[in-house]
Amino acid sequence: MGGYIFKRLGLALAVAVAVSMIAFLLLRLSGDPAIAIAGEGARAADIELVRKTYGFDRPLPVQYVDWLGKTLRGDLGESIYFKQPAAPLILAKLQVTMVLALWSIVFALAISLPLGVLAALYRNSLIDRICLALAVFGQALPNFFFALLLIMLFSITLHWLPVSGSDSWRHFVMPTIALGYYAAPAFMRLLRAGMIEVMDADYIRTARAKGLPARTVVFKHALRNAVVPVVALAAVQLGFLLGGSVVIETIFALDGLGYLAYQSITFKDFPVMQNIVLLLSVIYVVLTLASDVANAWLDPRIRVR
Amino acid sequence: MQQQKRRHAITGFIAGALLATVLAVAAPALASRKDDTIRFAYDQAPESVDPFFNNVRIGVIIGANVWDTLVYLDPNTGEYKGLLARSWKQIDDKTIEFDLREGVRFHNGEEFDADSVVYTLNYVADPGNKVVTQANVNWIDKATKLGKYKVRLTTRQVFPAAIEYLAGPVVIHPAKYYAEAGPKGQNSKPVGSGPYRVSNYLPGKSITLERNPNYFNDSPKGAARINKVEIRFIPDRQTQMAEMLSGNGDLIMYVPKDQADQAAKMPSLQVVSGETMRIAFMQLNSLDSTPTPALKDPRVRKAITHAIDRESIVKSIVGAGSRVLHSQCYPSQFGCTDQGVTRYAYDPALAKKLLAEAGFPNGFETEIFAYRERNQTEAIINYLQQVGIKATLNFSQYAAMRDQIRAGKASLTHQTWGSFSVNDVSASIPVWFGGESDDITKDKQVQELLTRGNTSVDPNVRKQSYQQALKRIADNAFAVPLWTLPVYYVASKELSFKAYPDEMVRLWEMTWK
Amino acid sequence: MASTALDAATAIVEPAGTVVAAPGFWRRVWKNKAVVGGFGWLLLIVAIALLAPWIAPYDPYAQDLANRTVPPFWYDAGSFAHPFGTDPLGRDYLSRLCYGARISLLIGASVAMISGFIGTTMGMLAGYFGGKADLAVSFIVTTRLAMPVILVALATVALLGGSLWVVIMVLGLLKWDRFAVVMRSATQQVRSLDYVAAAQAAGASTRRVLLGEVLPNVLPHLIVVATLEAASAILLEAALSFLGLGVQPPLPSWGLMISEAKTYMFFSFWLIAIPGAALALLIFGINLAGDGLRDLLAPDGPT
Repeated sequence: MGGYIFKRLGLALAVAVAVSMIAFLLLRLSGDPAIAIAGEGARAADIELVRKTYGFDRPLPVQYVDWLGKTLRGDLGESIYFKQPAAPLILAKLQVTMVLALWSIVFALAISLPLGVLAALYRNSLIDRICLALAVFGQALPNFFFALLLIMLFSITLHWLPVSGSDSWRHFVMPTIALGYYAAPAFMRLLRAGMIEVMDADYIRTARAKGLPARTVVFKHALRNAVVPVVALAAVQLGFLLGGSVVIETIFALDGLGYLAYQSITFKDFPVMQNIVLLLSVIYVVLTLASDVANAWLDPRIRVR
Repeated sequence: MQQQKRRHAITGFIAGALLATVLAVAAPALASRKDDTIRFAYDQAPESVDPFFNNVRIGVIIGANVWDTLVYLDPNTGEYKGLLARSWKQIDDKTIEFDLREGVRFHNGEEFDADSVVYTLNYVADPGNKVVTQANVNWIDKATKLGKYKVRLTTRQVFPAAIEYLAGPVVIHPAKYYAEAGPKGQNSKPVGSGPYRVSNYLPGKSITLERNPNYFNDSPKGAARINKVEIRFIPDRQTQMAEMLSGNGDLIMYVPKDQADQAAKMPSLQVVSGETMRIAFMQLNSLDSTPTPALKDPRVRKAITHAIDRESIVKSIVGAGSRVLHSQCYPSQFGCTDQGVTRYAYDPALAKKLLAEAGFPNGFETEIFAYRERNQTEAIINYLQQVGIKATLNFSQYAAMRDQIRAGKASLTHQTWGSFSVNDVSASIPVWFGGESDDITKDKQVQELLTRGNTSVDPNVRKQSYQQALKRIADNAFAVPLWTLPVYYVASKELSFKAYPDEMVRLWEMTWK
Repeated sequence: MASTALDAATAIVEPAGTVVAAPGFWRRVWKNKAVVGGFGWLLLIVAIALLAPWIAPYDPYAQDLANRTVPPFWYDAGSFAHPFGTDPLGRDYLSRLCYGARISLLIGASVAMISGFIGTTMGMLAGYFGGKADLAVSFIVTTRLAMPVILVALATVALLGGSLWVVIMVLGLLKWDRFAVVMRSATQQVRSLDYVAAAQAAGASTRRVLLGEVLPNVLPHLIVVATLEAASAILLEAALSFLGLGVQPPLPSWGLMISEAKTYMFFSFWLIAIPGAALALLIFGINLAGDGLRDLLAPDGPT
């Protein structure tokens, strides 16, 4: 087990570094940071001054290593746009996005598990297709359209939920549905496939031959084993949702990490942007690592591979 | 069994984490007339609440409601009245002396006197302090205290629009507080002297204003009538409209015309609209380095102006209150005129003829940059297409577009300019024709005329110079003046307010019907 | 040694050669309602796209400022002059819808091809050679998955401007990960098959083995993933348009039409509902076809 974790950790670290390098490059290429900092109306001389002060005239690799060094020492720099330290800013917004992402996964699982089970039990029938259609429904509409439809229904027509903001749990219901629905089809398909595979396996056939009721067979044995890869996928999807929540956060005015990322790119706020990318990629690899470890813990067969 | 226990453990862990997140969020909401609160939604949060350190309209609005300036321009009569200053006197070309009002206090109790004026003006005039819009403050040379309630202000050059700027963006901060806390302090705990004070500020989420009960009686602004204003930052315009439609909002602005027309049909909503000082125009890059050399020929530029049916666009797309312009300035600005300038009627046949004369019988290809009112740009593109000019749209953020223009990469631009609501033509034309980085015409004669207008104190000399500059610009079709832009506000029927051309939302004036 | 999470993201994969070669395969295809329905629907949309110049009543770019935002014929104010109404610049909506099918299908197909090529190459190399190649590909895939897509899109558009080709390029360069993962698994399965071993023993070059024996067997899986990624790409284009990073107007892509109609959503719902429904139906069709195909390739086949 130890060796397995060690190897995975090595890979995770390499990935995090690679991502930060690519992000660094992309950001520098997409705009001159000196102009962004010098601001509107700055003259050429001002911009040159900024360039020298911040060291933007040094070769890129040097700048990167310098930034990486500072970051590892905990100095995350200051937001150019907000003129405050970057770290507390990012952490505050992370909270909102974390809550949203976690609940979205829960919602996705809540829809996809029953649909997946039904689809597997009645595979290739009309019920199977309907379950698929329901799972895919939230993914067939562009997410902002879906979000606004939810608002039209639940806020404007029914007055059940508030439109936007992040003050209470009620504010998170529609964003959760809108964001979570996107992850549902993947879970549903995976569970369905896993259940089909398990249900066809010998030991299930044995249990049924023994005369055990179908429900016992399905839930006690098949589901339990089929859910293992879904757990793994859930961790991975969580990582995605954290990085892909911009549109939902914009529509529902949730002042989260996704919206901050969008703002920082728009305003060329490099310190914030770089740190967000680093943070998201670290979270992603940690989640993948955690899910692999949990998987291996739950199913010893995997470790042997 | 082992496996089962492990699975249960993981489930328990996850459930616990989720429960924790639910408990982490909780709180109430607000109502409106019952709570005497205006719920105002705006799309972009300011990067700092200190008016000198942000660049967004809501920052300017908060600035006028929470802070005071030395002078106040009465929007109804057009006269300058004393606000924090009781009176003032122009001593010479570059010097003004102010007699200040007594008995005014800032929101934190600090007394207002010459120290605050002197400290604030000297602080913002120093380029090292990096005030965001330098043009608002870099005309100030220095302020000196002549007495507890007397200040002298000197300008760097002759600056006839000084009073206009002192009535607009240049607010006064409390000296002691600003010296201690600086812009960062003003951003986290804003302190001004205005009719509203900030009672709660959640950066990026909302700002709550409460009536200042100690606002001084003689203020031409007048004390606030409604007790609270809750400004929420909602980036998406449709979400803002959804809040209005579901009864959770009282005021939104910058509603697109079509939406506003429809919202007017809703029984619970009212639409208030009016022309603003924001003008739309097209820049034409006629420099030697222009990406579209055709634009160097004045016939081509005139053809472009003739090709666009501005009246039609104004009537059907731009909206109520807007009008076609023949000079790139807002008519009420001092020095703005379209007397004696060439007017270009909509004449696509003439446009084609001019293009053929210039050597482009089949038109040419070019690119047009825009950053807002995309439907207007599309309409323009369509008209250009009819005379053979194929313009591809490059729609981007304002900052990105401005960078491209300054780098000389833009041929045609669909620009707008609000002049920071300054009612003097020196706040608009020189930006585009004064030889600075946004000038992609760089005509020496125009520059000279503008300099003459900017540096004379004699109003007649100024008017004449500006008129000549505008005439030269129009006669040579250096740019295409388009139209004025209206702004639409959608509000709850219970709110009573008036829209002004300076796009200033005077919250202190608003009442419930 | 790719992450088990990535493994989990693949459904069961079976050497397709055995399935396709088995007797009665094509009969089962016709009997599989999902495949028939999904592909049939897809073909209909392709037909509309190809025939657009003949079925569209107007030029999709022709503006008519006197007839803005006319509702479709089923409203009182609408008529058959513009069966689906007009958009806020007076352009006929039905025509834009027909021509828009071209853009959306073009985006879907191009992105699927580009990302399919990149991902399949990587997946096959990783699955066939294992060892260091596998490690390298696994590293690249995980790096790609850890990068926030929005950042890449935003940065690229800031660099290159927004246009149809930039959108296709950005999406194509980002969406190859599922291809790589699935193709890797498929290749691993196929690698151990008899006739592959035979070809190797006969001294065929690696290239021949890969292209001649492995590829034909993994091709059906490639198609399944391609259909799903095409659907996803078409949707992502709409999201990019929403953020201002998509194709530029006046191009009638469905994604841009939906994004522009958002402003009118509460008052002229049909402006967003019509392209939205068209897009949703396209996505459903693609998903149906893809899932039907996947079932066909399952070990037991349909019941």
